[in-house]
Amino acid sequence: MKGQVLIAVVALLLASAAVPAAYLQFAVDVNGHTTPLRWKSPSVRWFATNSGVQNVSAGAMQGAVARAFDTWQNVPTAAISFSFAGFTGATPFDEDGISVIGFEDEPDLERVLGATSFVIDDVTGEIVEADIFFNAAFQWSTADAGQPGRFDLQSVATHEIGHLLGLAHSALGETELRPSGGRRVLASSAVMFPISFGAGNIADRILQPDDVAGVSDLYPDDDFARRTGSITGRVLLNGRPVLGAHVMAFHLESGEFVSGFTLNDAGEFQIAGLRPGAHIIRVEPLDDADVDSFFDLGSIEINFRPAFYSRVVAVPAGGSAPRVDVTVGPK
Amino acid sequence: MNSWWCGLVLAAMSLPGGVSAQTPSREPRFEVTGAAGLQAGADLAAQNGDLRANSTPPQPFTLFTTESRVAQSWLTEGRVGWRVTPRITVEGRLGYSRPTLEVSAGADTEGAPPITIVERIDQYVVDAGVVIRLDEVRIAGLMPYAAAGAGYLRQLHEGLTVIEQGHVYHVGGGVNRELWTPNGRLVRAAGLRVDARVYFLAGGVAPDVVTQGTVTAGIFVRF
Repeated sequence: MKGQVLIAVVALLLASAAVPAAYLQFAVDVNGHTTPLRWKSPSVRWFATNSGVQNVSAGAMQGAVARAFDTWQNVPTAAISFSFAGFTGATPFDEDGISVIGFEDEPDLERVLGATSFVIDDVTGEIVEADIFFNAAFQWSTADAGQPGRFDLQSVATHEIGHLLGLAHSALGETELRPSGGRRVLASSAVMFPISFGAGNIADRILQPDDVAGVSDLYPDDDFARRTGSITGRVLLNGRPVLGAHVMAFHLESGEFVSGFTLNDAGEFQIAGLRPGAHIIRVEPLDDADVDSFFDLGSIEINFRPAFYSRVVAVPAGGSAPRVDVTVGPK
Repeated sequence: MNSWWCGLVLAAMSLPGGVSAQTPSREPRFEVTGAAGLQAGADLAAQNGDLRANSTPPQPFTLFTTESRVAQSWLTEGRVGWRVTPRITVEGRLGYSRPTLEVSAGADTEGAPPITIVERIDQYVVDAGVVIRLDEVRIAGLMPYAAAGAGYLRQLHEGLTVIEQGHVYHVGGGVNRELWTPNGRLVRAAGLRVDARVYFLAGGVAPDVVTQGTVTAGIFVRF
């Protein structure tokens, strides 16, 4: 019998290895090899809890979550599907062999809107079970246009389902510190950005190019690799490799962003799933959210200035652009 | 176009027509042209690095701005035509140019130093169209014509990586001047040709349709 391991992953707190690809993918160490977390089956069954919260019934919750699943399932370049298996009295985060999604009252987690947990096969790295809870300590809404003062359940569900699929957080966003503590999001271009836009906002119901590239890289359809390209390279500061730099690829024609990180001691990165064409590369320190909300790599470098790469990078369909070395300067 | 070269072409076209005045035994139907000239530069639409701002309704948050331009460049082209009727010729063309793509990025909200990147592009255009001879406005030996067509655009980055593929459409015209009409069995006529076109490039490196003018001068040979 294969061994199984429960990994608890909180939306605002992540502690696992990461795969050096575009966006960020969860990964586990399997027999000394870093293996992306992913479902083996192309069809994932999920259950909804049979209890709601104030303003959101169990049925309304199930409907919002189903729409969020549809959003991921409808990515044209990804091959993954979901099916609703029914309501259950089981609760999320129990290791019970079924994937359960529902509300849990967690008032101590005062900045956590939702979280995802995994049970994985520790021999293959496959996801066996994944649960999601939404923190009932917050005010929720499933209204079509959102509701002031209430968090949009479908938006948060879309983010958490990204985790359920194996995606970690994206750093495509800008934040500012709140005087009262925490951060306020100024802007983002990824549903998988770790911090919510806030109550009343429904923008994260719609996947962004970075999210689409991420799920397509994990669950590619037959044409994905042929139709997209990648960029590889490294980031250097004073001739030394930079660990934990955020690397953004900007497609000049479409204005789309897809990003990745330097995740090893050589300062190397890879950004895959890119639309072919001319890209501008911009590198910045990872200073718009807590570093441990992205990965646990030890000492990462944030004392450098953002910089553009000195060349236009042409990404071919079905291949990789010539390797790039981006030099950044100290702050 | 350099003024001395332009002057040379015009001087040649004003020479009395037909160095050999003998009339060919039949109308030539097949024509080959080789030409060179200039391709105008074009500003490409500015593309901002926009994130989704935290606002309702959604607004863009501009992280940085970019501006792009394809610079003026030399152009060489070859044309092959088949005269369908005395007035109408169907023509195919292969054009090649090496413009520079100039991309500037700046106004970064986090202070990334602005940068201007200059890169070469190999641009190939394969198109086909119709050339209509305008006998009504013929002046001396100069035969004007109008032309229009469509084709395929391929842009390669330095290192021959394909950047973009797309479509081109063009309208324009020009004049040609027969300078040599031998009574040979193969070559029926030869002369000079000056051509001006406006190309509309869609699907290239530019986010929108780019309008580029071209002016070329060259030699045609009719068979």
